[in-house]
Amino acid sequence: MLNHHPSIEMLTDYAAGSLALAYSLSVSTHLEHCSECQQHVRKLEVLGANLFTQTAPENQSLSFLKQSFFEKLTEEEQDRTSETLAENKQKSVKNWFDDYKIPASLRQFVPNNYDELSWMKLSPSVKIATLCDEDGIQVSLTRIKAGAHIPTHTHAGEEITLVLEGAFSDEKGVYGRGDFVSRNASHKHKPMVTKDAECICLTVLDAPIEFTGWLTRFFNPIMRRYHPQTQ
Amino acid sequence: MERAKQTQPDDQLVQDMFAVAEHRDQVALTRLFDHYVPKIRAFCLAAQPGANLMADDIAQEVMIRIWRKAHTYKPEAASLNTWVFTLARNARIDYFRKNSRHQTNIDPDYLFQSIVDENADPFKDAQHQRDQERIKDGLDKLPQDQKQVLYKVYLEGKTHKEAAEELSLPLGTIKSRVRLALHKLTIYIKR
Ligand SMILES: [Zn+2]
Repeated sequence: MLNHHPSIEMLTDYAAGSLALAYSLSVSTHLEHCSECQQHVRKLEVLGANLFTQTAPENQSLSFLKQSFFEKLTEEEQDRTSETLAENKQKSVKNWFDDYKIPASLRQFVPNNYDELSWMKLSPSVKIATLCDEDGIQVSLTRIKAGAHIPTHTHAGEEITLVLEGAFSDEKGVYGRGDFVSRNASHKHKPMVTKDAECICLTVLDAPIEFTGWLTRFFNPIMRRYHPQTQ
Repeated sequence: MERAKQTQPDDQLVQDMFAVAEHRDQVALTRLFDHYVPKIRAFCLAAQPGANLMADDIAQEVMIRIWRKAHTYKPEAASLNTWVFTLARNARIDYFRKNSRHQTNIDPDYLFQSIVDENADPFKDAQHQRDQERIKDGLDKLPQDQKQVLYKVYLEGKTHKEAAEELSLPLGTIKSRVRLALHKLTIYIKR
């Protein structure tokens, strides 16, 4: 049983599809570990479906649209290759569980293993790899060696940390695989990775240029010189 | 042994889904088109009033996905309405992404995959059936102010924060309205 979950507001925005994709990515990754939140999302989707089916019916004639749709469908049917491609994509998502620990939601950035990313070494014990950006919200992976301390610091923006592998702790508790930790400026931390294994986290930062996240703030001088690259 | 539930018009649509999946039946697909396309268009227009071309594009995209993915639909795991809603939601996100309303290289296809497939437990299915009925009945009884916020979040695609700004209400008020609504619908009890 996990102890740290996204807020119900965030789950609702996620199920509704109104949540920024960078945050949706962290929620989706959490869901792969958390049946409790999965249940919530399922129900929230049922709610969405009910609102969706209550939308006012239009009086507009759709015969033109219908005709153009069936023409498009015929084209699509002839173009078998695109369908095969789409199915392959689905397949790779479904099979991840058997072979890899990479969450399905992250496989668009990490197809095989974490080592294939271009990690940037920030210190002997910390490495970081940027996955993507959305409207200035930055998503990255942080990899910290077992037992490593992270200096005390505060930060400005909001930050989400999702534990993918290993565990870390701070004054408030221990966070393990699947835990979803949301922090804002009011928090002050002394996070430390547990001694038994390295820790890999997914982090979503809403103020990436200054790297104000609680985990990465102290790397600012280095990070500013680093140009995030997309894979 | 005809039950009231079996006479619902949605049953015809579920049959049509099977016809599409198994026989590539375009007549059945036409019935699904007639039923869902007006809803998908209205769903898109709620987020972007007047954007008829966008609504047409997304509606067509959803119908293509229905055609291609019909064989993956499992009625015991989700109602057809829920399944189509998730397709429409994802297609709308994808459209906004590709047309740079949101600058991003995150592919939403990866973000909502696992949920619909996640089920093989008859006990959970029965539970899910009850949840569905409770949500459907409860929604009609919600006070207007709670419904309004749900409408903004789900149909207009606004976050809680954006809904608060638009209604000139504190974020806390929006949050508590949603929480009250979710509580009544027994979606969210405590945490
Ligand atoms: Zn959870």
